[in-house]
Amino acid sequence: MPLLSLANPSSPAGHEMLLLRSASVFRSVSRRISTVRMAAISTSGEKGASPAGQVQLPPSPPPVQVAKRLENFKTTIFTQMSLLAIKHGAINLGQGFPNFDGPEFVKEAAIEAIKEGKNQYARGYGVPELNSAIAERFKKDTGLQVNPEKEVTVTSGCTEAIAATILGLINPGDEVVLFAPFYDSYLATLSMAGAEVKSVTLCPPDFAVPLDELKSVVTKKTRAIMINTPHNPTGKMFNREELEVIASLCIENDILVFTDEVYDKLAFEAEHISIASLPGMYERTVTMNSLGKTFSLTGWKIGWAVAPPHLTWGFRQAHSFLTFSTSTPMQWAASVALRAPDTYYEELKRDYLAKKAILVEGLKAAGFIVYPSSGTYFVMVDHTPFGFENDITFCEYLITEVGVVAIPTSVFYLNPEEGKSLVRFTFCKDEHTLRAAVERMKERLHKR
Amino acid sequence: MSRAIPSGPGQAANAQARLKAPAIDKMEAKLSKASRALNASPIQEISHLAQRCGAINLAEGFPDFPAPPQVKHAAVAAIAADLNQYRHVQGICDLLAVKMKQNHVLDFDPLTDFVICCGQSEAFAATILATIDQGDEVLIFDPAYETYESCIILAGGIPLELRISQVYVPLDPPYWTLNVDKFMRSFTGRTKAVVLNRSLNEEKIGCIKETNYNSYSPHNPTGKVFSKEELEVIAAACCQMDCLAITDEVYEYITFDTHKHLSIASLPMMKERTIITSSLSKTFSVTGWRIGWACAPTAIASAIRNIHIKITDSAPAPFQEAALAALQSPPEYFSSLKADYVARRDFLIKMLSEVGFQVHNKPQGSVFIFAELPKTCLLCDVSELSPATFPFIDFVKELIEKAGVAAVPGRGFFHGDCNDLTQQSRYVRFAFCKSNDTLSAADQKMRSCVGK
Repeated sequence: MPLLSLANPSSPAGHEMLLLRSASVFRSVSRRISTVRMAAISTSGEKGASPAGQVQLPPSPPPVQVAKRLENFKTTIFTQMSLLAIKHGAINLGQGFPNFDGPEFVKEAAIEAIKEGKNQYARGYGVPELNSAIAERFKKDTGLQVNPEKEVTVTSGCTEAIAATILGLINPGDEVVLFAPFYDSYLATLSMAGAEVKSVTLCPPDFAVPLDELKSVVTKKTRAIMINTPHNPTGKMFNREELEVIASLCIENDILVFTDEVYDKLAFEAEHISIASLPGMYERTVTMNSLGKTFSLTGWKIGWAVAPPHLTWGFRQAHSFLTFSTSTPMQWAASVALRAPDTYYEELKRDYLAKKAILVEGLKAAGFIVYPSSGTYFVMVDHTPFGFENDITFCEYLITEVGVVAIPTSVFYLNPEEGKSLVRFTFCKDEHTLRAAVERMKERLHKR
Repeated sequence: MSRAIPSGPGQAANAQARLKAPAIDKMEAKLSKASRALNASPIQEISHLAQRCGAINLAEGFPDFPAPPQVKHAAVAAIAADLNQYRHVQGICDLLAVKMKQNHVLDFDPLTDFVICCGQSEAFAATILATIDQGDEVLIFDPAYETYESCIILAGGIPLELRISQVYVPLDPPYWTLNVDKFMRSFTGRTKAVVLNRSLNEEKIGCIKETNYNSYSPHNPTGKVFSKEELEVIAAACCQMDCLAITDEVYEYITFDTHKHLSIASLPMMKERTIITSSLSKTFSVTGWRIGWACAPTAIASAIRNIHIKITDSAPAPFQEAALAALQSPPEYFSSLKADYVARRDFLIKMLSEVGFQVHNKPQGSVFIFAELPKTCLLCDVSELSPATFPFIDFVKELIEKAGVAAVPGRGFFHGDCNDLTQQSRYVRFAFCKSNDTLSAADQKMRSCVGK
């Protein structure tokens, strides 16, 4: 199994590039992830420049080796595919970020901030105006009133919010429950924190939470459950019943919830529910979000977490070590963005619904089994009608012979076998691109 | 909050036990006790007082003058040109590789040896996470920033890999020279790395308590630049003990007089064991943009990159684009940057000396002056404003209230020997990364209010 390597992360969606094929390899890699020992220095007998004084150094320890995992790094499947995609001029419906830009009023706010000189360090946990805007938006969305100074922290994207949550609140050996398929940084960061990961798989066609299985996996030893809703890559949205079951398990067993809600404004077929708003849950929940997906500015790296003070404390500890503060002009622009009127969000949804229709109809016409996606800008499909052995071989074929990129989803599971019939397409592209991709697939994909 | 104990192999184990973070308990009662302890920050009090009094702020370590127009323009252009999605701008690495060659005669591969991060902060964090295991010891020079220690100690949730012993190696006043004996005795079989905080012996205040401070104050309290001889000692020890050197070179272009910034990586056999971190922030007066990098041999850079991708994934895209413009600034930019800072430094030293402060050493780099209180100034009576308040703070408070100038108490930068409290309490740190108007105004106020 090739290990992942990111010698040259040429693709911007680096997080999606950094995946391992084998879960067991991954775990062993992750445990060693902080071990880097230098290669033996052949001239260990020399002492380099002689010190000024006559100081006796203690006898040198034996020479150490480069960590095994570093020796084995090879190019990842995604790097290979990206290169293939460029070589074949494939249309990229794999990358999870738009090929269109954010709204003018937000960009202008950032430009103003830069010109006005707001280019120096921001307060570590966020520019006050942004903290307030986040609190206001949170109140509007969930009904919960939170203190912007004590319960809101701004981070470099939701990726950092996830890292700060896990590194700040999870101790080695803590048990954490994930829902597969999951965004890859969850597992990676949990491994960095030394957590014991248990996963519960969401299965097609509706990717519903298997409640009985969940109840058997969650115990008093569980420290936290991670939720992503609306869910990447399936497009599933956790419904009230599922969240209530999760909530009652958490309350009964004194468990925390870390919830990634970056796609909350891309909720199409169902109402987005934040678990923090359920009774008894706010005090044990970290709710994470970001600017990037809602405002098509994924490269600005503005994210945040809302959590009660006793959880915010641990979060801010980690954050202050990881990046300390977040980009100042973008924070000012974000505070403007978050005060956007309802019409902005309505138009956003309308636009994405139109794009989704193009893609979904096209995928069905091309012969895929298309699973319903309630939220996000992703759609999961079953590729097996085309007769390929697994998701990776299918995706390679899709690039080289059809000229379209999709993401193989097996890498999003602890057990890759569970994902081998599934691939993920995105519709966060302009309509012209979507139509062109659909045409290619209709023309060139043949059922076997 | 516990302070690091003095260096010495026998005490390293004790240090680690004491530095072990309290178990994070989700019950609010237990956590809030710890957070109450954190909030008793003298710097926080000063900051609020300074604001209330409208004092001139010579405490913050970031500029109050604008960033260079061509760099800002590049950022604005990038935003307008829709360069706002996730990006890795390879051109930055290409330019940095050229600079490494020009400045240090070091060959780095731009495709593999650089990691662009959200500020030097993240580059440093990713480096630590990528190289330091549980039980490892890291040598840090003192005076340094205490809050780096706090971050690590109090961040109990951060994996055990980071519950390292930070062993402080005291530098000798008044010139903060490296004491070779003390340094060598600090090494043990567990020493993994030596941190050269801001090649000018600086570290940043990064602690949670500073997040309440209105401004972020990274600093070099002493403005010292390690001499070539000192770097050679450190290098020899790193080679002999097979340790890494982790450097923070954010002030690489702000060195004065004949002191040229010398990176330890350029010394014999050091390139393979050194991780250089730096950023745009100080060189281009854009501390809020969060564009930094780590530069290391390929295998280590790869590990750092893997960590970085999990922490933030990428640095802000438009500012990466602007970094291209910044890093292509002509040599004149760098020489006038230096000249401007020299002028500011000299102005402030003159002002401080003439009102009675003792500036024992002219800073050789960075933007801070560490000055001793005027001899005629008696420390005020110790007043217990709060348990964490130190006696020296009264001087700083007076300076704010009477002279309308804010500075930072020097006590916070020291560790270890508590018998030296009186001595350590007599230092105050001033920043001179301020416009001429600001410095002139401060000058006027100080002259009229402070003095014999």
